[in-house]
Amino acid sequence: MTDNQKKILEMLAEKKISTDEAYRLLNALGSDEGGQKEMPKVPTGTVAKPKYLRVTVMPEEGADPKHADRVNIRVPMGLIRAGIKLTSLIPNDAMDKVNDALRDKGINFDVKSVKPEDIEELIGALSELEVDVESGRGEKVKVFVE
Amino acid sequence: MNRPPLLMHLRIRNPEHKFGLWLPLFLLIPIALVVFIILSPLILLAVIVLWPTGWGRVALLAPWYAWNCFCATRGLKVDVQGPREIVKIAFV
Repeated sequence: MTDNQKKILEMLAEKKISTDEAYRLLNALGSDEGGQKEMPKVPTGTVAKPKYLRVTVMPEEGADPKHADRVNIRVPMGLIRAGIKLTSLIPNDAMDKVNDALRDKGINFDVKSVKPEDIEELIGALSELEVDVESGRGEKVKVFVE
Repeated sequence: MNRPPLLMHLRIRNPEHKFGLWLPLFLLIPIALVVFIILSPLILLAVIVLWPTGWGRVALLAPWYAWNCFCATRGLKVDVQGPREIVKIAFV
């Protein structure tokens, strides 16, 4: 028995409410609490890992299919992960050259500082990525993760 | 470790040519393995020679990383359709 049910019964005992009112209140309370029990539980901490990075380019609706470009690319996340891990193979001298080249382009990034745990974090962050662009010609470009 | 892709599907179509290919990668993997075993003494030699320069580590680990990349291609799909050309590549 919940606190609310107890309160209703106490009010009935003190004759503050009638039996009909108590009955209606208990029913209303029961349906509310029953409804709460049936609410689906949202699983926490079990966010599905993204499997693919998708890039799609679709022509505008109603465009002639013979004169329209369509692109549909699906890249497994494992391939991105493996590609980033390849950076660990680059010797220090080459890393310095890459850093210098990036600095020349105005990008202040140290390639040496990329660690495996950073890669996982990066891939995890990609799960929230969604790019949706519509060009002036009506083409729709979408980049998303699934 | 991921399983490697078993098949590669390549399809190219334009007004002049029409080309489609199902490449059985599962048959090519044993051949690649045999080639790798035959070439392994040369790879080892390259590793020893290049070790002082820093590229020896690359030569030593590159086959393993290449294998990992190859395995990760499973599920890769590229589908580009233009007004005149269609190019499709899929790793199954």
